[in-house]
Amino acid sequence: MKSVFNGLKNLIKGMAITSKHLGRHAVTVQYPEQRDNIPERSRGIVVLLSDKETGELNCTSCMLCMRACPTAAIRIEAPRGEDKKRHLQSFVVNHTICCFCGLCEQACNFTAIKMATMYEFSSLDKSVLVWDMNKLQEMGRDVPYEPKKKPAAKPRPKVEEKEKAADDKEEKPDTTETKPDEKTDPKNENQTPDQPDEEDKKGEA
Amino acid sequence: MSGLLTQEFTVNMGPHHPSTHGVCRLILTMDGEKVVKIEPVIGYLHRSMEKICENRTYAQCVPLMDRFEYVTAMSAEYVFVNAVEKLAEIEVPERAEYLRVIMLELNRIASHLIFYGATAMDIGALTPFIYGLRERELIIDLFEMTCGQRLTYNYMKIGGVSHDIPKEFIPKCREAVKIIGEKMSDYEGLLNENPIWLARTKNVGVLPTDLAKAYGVSGPVLRASGVKYDIRKNDPYSIYDRFDFNIPCRHNGDSYDRYLLRLDEIRESLKIIIQALDGLPEGDTLKKVNPFNFKPPAGEMYSRIENSRGEMGVYIISDGTTKPLRVKMRGSSYNHVQVLPKVATGVLIADLVATFATLDVIMPEVDR
Amino acid sequence: MILATAELIGIFQWLHGFLVDLGLKEPWLSIVVYCLLSVTVFGVLCLIALFLVWWERKIAGHIQQRFGPMRNGWHGWYQTVMDALKLLQKEDIRVDTRDKAVFFWAPVICFVAAFMAYIVIPFGKGLIVADLNIGILYIIAITTFTVISLLMAGWGSHNKYALLGGMRSAAQVVSYEVPMVASILTVIIFSGSLSMVDISNSQQGNLIFNWFIFRPPFGIIAFITYIIAATAEANRTPFDIPEAEQELVAGFNIEYSGMKFAMFFLAEFVNMFTVSAIATTLFLGGWNGPLLPSWLWFLIKTLLVVLLLMVFRWTFPRLRVDQLMEFAWKFLVPVTFANLILAGWMKYAGWYW
Repeated sequence: MKSVFNGLKNLIKGMAITSKHLGRHAVTVQYPEQRDNIPERSRGIVVLLSDKETGELNCTSCMLCMRACPTAAIRIEAPRGEDKKRHLQSFVVNHTICCFCGLCEQACNFTAIKMATMYEFSSLDKSVLVWDMNKLQEMGRDVPYEPKKKPAAKPRPKVEEKEKAADDKEEKPDTTETKPDEKTDPKNENQTPDQPDEEDKKGEA
Repeated sequence: MSGLLTQEFTVNMGPHHPSTHGVCRLILTMDGEKVVKIEPVIGYLHRSMEKICENRTYAQCVPLMDRFEYVTAMSAEYVFVNAVEKLAEIEVPERAEYLRVIMLELNRIASHLIFYGATAMDIGALTPFIYGLRERELIIDLFEMTCGQRLTYNYMKIGGVSHDIPKEFIPKCREAVKIIGEKMSDYEGLLNENPIWLARTKNVGVLPTDLAKAYGVSGPVLRASGVKYDIRKNDPYSIYDRFDFNIPCRHNGDSYDRYLLRLDEIRESLKIIIQALDGLPEGDTLKKVNPFNFKPPAGEMYSRIENSRGEMGVYIISDGTTKPLRVKMRGSSYNHVQVLPKVATGVLIADLVATFATLDVIMPEVDR
Repeated sequence: MILATAELIGIFQWLHGFLVDLGLKEPWLSIVVYCLLSVTVFGVLCLIALFLVWWERKIAGHIQQRFGPMRNGWHGWYQTVMDALKLLQKEDIRVDTRDKAVFFWAPVICFVAAFMAYIVIPFGKGLIVADLNIGILYIIAITTFTVISLLMAGWGSHNKYALLGGMRSAAQVVSYEVPMVASILTVIIFSGSLSMVDISNSQQGNLIFNWFIFRPPFGIIAFITYIIAATAEANRTPFDIPEAEQELVAGFNIEYSGMKFAMFFLAEFVNMFTVSAIATTLFLGGWNGPLLPSWLWFLIKTLLVVLLLMVFRWTFPRLRVDQLMEFAWKFLVPVTFANLILAGWMKYAGWYW
């Protein structure tokens, strides 16, 4: 008898808890008329950042973001010109492969690439989500960022020191640094690490 | 009655379930309403993560470990990072350790809230799921504020954490802890003493202590069967030995105990978070380690932590290059799925559903 | 605006007079008038069913601190209409079975049986289609019709899981008929008549203390057991094994699609309204109440009981099948019979108020 009353009392207690919620305002947000506030660090799409005054891309084609990406969503083509520096020719981010991890943003020393907070970019066609350099720059124009100080250029080491440095690094480019699917990478020869150039050295600092 | 010919039939509780346990297929042989034999079939979520890890540098493995167990992604990342740090003997700054503990405990609470909701939903009460998710929103808002993502964080780095907490984190975290503490009485009042809930979960799916030990069960399932073993106390990692918290333990081993134990664990985690917030030191959050050229010394290392489901472990064999030679991931749900046929045979389907729900099996851990 | 009950009755009296003037003789006159009354009640009920579907979704939403339907109309009021239109355009799956007639007629019987009970339910003072003097007995008989339709649905689906589901739900409905009838009998002992109008009338006056629920202790116990049995009759949680998706064996209506499914679905909501209406009439005083028109009181009280059933659904977990049957036969039946015997003895001894 007592357990019957106890049971009924607990059932009514449960009903009281749910009925209390009938009087409360809903906590949901009516999308798309209302939108929730997105924190500024939220990782949405990848964009390329440009200098605030000149409007040029901050990217120096150091290829660190490409090496950092675990899914090879970033493809950069930056052949060396006559002045031995790389010139950015094409920068493609395939958002259908990107896993939105943010490793590219963490790897970049020049605040050239960032994960902006935009998240509404679904489409019916996969090719719409593969963004080239112009689209990336355009989407990154209004993204606020704090520019990192560019690390000072190190003096180029003399030839003997360079050879000694090359000897110290014993890695061979067999398992090419962080390139997950080599067979689809046609420009493999551009990424050999055994001649670290200036930008790579800065990246390793 | 003896002349009646009955026949057992096979029912496929297919990979797609209305329950939220992921893609686990159960082949049930049934005699009327009773389940005579259960055969779990796994592998529907196999993504060959261990093989993929062999072709990624250590820094690139961390987002992959997120996906190893996405409900408690912080723990999954942490166990890997911990193994690498132990192997390479990297000293992590104090502030980073405190932040890691806060994130791990917040993740534990979020996982237990999902457990609460999913179990209630399987047993028929549809509202607690929404209540659990509503509180979980507070936690994942904190995560989004810190590292940018709500589910797959990529927050732990080898040598520390990737971002420092923003200044609004601490007051919001305290508020979230307060709100969750208050709502716990709601959750308990709704289900704990409910006679229907008791009828569905008491003495259902009893896991005896010796069977639990024989199958290598860990975590709340083990502690509900009477064995007081928690890696945070028995084999402390990170800075857990500095905090004061209890290990709840129950003795019946039935579904009701497993459910109650996880609610107790939420309260203990809240205590740990408050202590960590109070003791948070200033300083760096990351000991800089080159993500591209990081080469731990050749060797092997196993690291284990107390995940919200049990013991989660990672065994790394390094050959001195930038990529690991072998990464073996150990998830506790693999053992729990094996326990299911022992515990849920000879009962009605409804009991099988209740038992499977309280074992809290997550398929990405099983299948990797 | 037609607000007062007298005006509503006035319309049908005018209609009756109009038909007499047209020269309609006796048998045809009654037939036409009753047909018109039934069609009106049917129309009102369809609207009520649509409203209840919407209301359930809104209540479920607000219990879970979210909104529920918001897009179709102000707060989604014509969501149900849109859902019905959507179900109309779904493919009507025909099952490859020899008993096609059984498969076809099951939803029809369920739907019709759900509505037939409303002939004797008083929507207000004098607002009743036919005041049978065996009113409540008629209702109990009609609600048993749904069992036949459940079994037909299970059999005609040509699917062993539907058959199992149909048998389980038929067993559940039949088992919970017994405590339901026993609770109703308790009220009949006090009111002395089976007619619904008489039962409502006997709860008049004395503010609300003439209501049968307020004749403790037997009124309260009878009300509680009636509500529990009614929840089981209407296949609602915590007794919704036939409809649960989390159970492996789905219910009797898995093979139905499109409008046939909609008929089962609407019949469930109409059933829910029926049991609430009976609870209101028997226990909560029917249409009695000060100030407002009587049909409005009836509606308010019934909707409150419906709200109670909805809160049940969204709060409690589900009972297991054997626990369900055990609860009915080992707990509810003895309690209701004890209640009945004691109530009878109290009436005989004159100790009632």
